[in-house]
Amino acid sequence: MSVLLPVGTRKGLFLLRGDESRRSWEVEGPLLKGWEVFHATVDPRDGALYVAANNFVYGATVQRSDDLGKTWERSEQLAMPDGQEPLKRMWHVEPGHPSQPATLWAGGDPHVLFRSDDGGATWEPNRALLEHSTRDRWQPGFGGPCLHSIQLDPTDARRLYVGISAAGVFRSDDGGESWTPANKGTAADFMEDDKFPEVGQCVHKVLVHPARPDRLWQQNHCGVYRSDDRGESWERLEGNGLPSGFGFPIALDPGDPDVAYVVPEDGAEGRVTAGGRLGVYRTTDGGASWELHMDGLPARAWTAVKREGLAYDDGGVYLGTQSGSVFALATGDGGWVDAAAQLPEILSVEAAEWSSS
Amino acid sequence: MVLVLIPSLLAAQTGGRGRFEVEAATLGEALRALPIADLLFDERGELRPLVNPFVDKSLERDLTTPLQAHSEVRVVAAIAGG
Repeated sequence: MSVLLPVGTRKGLFLLRGDESRRSWEVEGPLLKGWEVFHATVDPRDGALYVAANNFVYGATVQRSDDLGKTWERSEQLAMPDGQEPLKRMWHVEPGHPSQPATLWAGGDPHVLFRSDDGGATWEPNRALLEHSTRDRWQPGFGGPCLHSIQLDPTDARRLYVGISAAGVFRSDDGGESWTPANKGTAADFMEDDKFPEVGQCVHKVLVHPARPDRLWQQNHCGVYRSDDRGESWERLEGNGLPSGFGFPIALDPGDPDVAYVVPEDGAEGRVTAGGRLGVYRTTDGGASWELHMDGLPARAWTAVKREGLAYDDGGVYLGTQSGSVFALATGDGGWVDAAAQLPEILSVEAAEWSSS
Repeated sequence: MVLVLIPSLLAAQTGGRGRFEVEAATLGEALRALPIADLLFDERGELRPLVNPFVDKSLERDLTTPLQAHSEVRVVAAIAGG
């Protein structure tokens, strides 16, 4: 199957189309010129393309295209409830469970989760998170107080997870009616007193494995983690081959729950790729060990891959850098291939099935 | 009728249409009649701080500014650094 990568950038949206081998690529764009596309994704249920798009003059939006970017429909204005800080940015759009075909979720700043039950036309903020008993202990991350990760359990439409900076991971078992902090074992090394608080962790990205949904992976400000019990507890993993536990994105392999990919940075102060190279590290043993996997990537690089900048599907892994390059690695193949270069700063990459016929 | 002109980024949100003729007695009525009003006003209904409306070539941020029968309103994004 061919692949479509919606690539969100600081200056618009690009669509990359790759063939089955992931070696031949075509680039279309920019679409939505003038918009910072924090995240773009294709809804696998109906093929609609959604973006979380922000503009420093005109505000935060979610927009939908039913013709892959030729025309767009903007959602009705998103709003925080009275008494809350106003909405600043939208960060992520997540299509809902297959059993709820009109439902989508979206995350934004300040610390907000929205739900739509009409295909993204209108959105309502999730009250349980806004009124969460721990909310007064949530801090902004370096990128602001954003809700950036939304993950569904494919086997249970009522279970979902969110990752919030810097509040941590939260799980709901009742469709968002209530939320439980899921941070046990994840560190907050930047805290002066309690290094393992109930909330306040700086999660950078959390993913559920699609074929083994009790298993979660997390790239955190303070390490790489895996949970095998739906976030009840976490094991720290990076002391065995990774140059640094600090990074933003993480990617998985849908066919093997023991595989994960990370792109370590040299630390919270420098925030460039570790060791002066664009190093992608892969584990094939559940995080017990990690190996550098950068055949085809530039040998010298001081760039970074943002939290949404790494994507995966059945056919491979795809990464987009802050320097505007996109690289693709076909599953089972030896090396990375240039898919695009000299794009604007890349904020997000996702992967969707696409047919040229 | 009042003529309202919007910049290209906003016109791209209306299928490419950059000129609107609207019935409006005030600047606020004219702006709120546009299909991109949500991009001009924040969620509290306030004119966004970097949206600058010009009425007959004069910058006016007072939404009660009265319009004449053939007034021209031009929406301009403020130059904010760079």
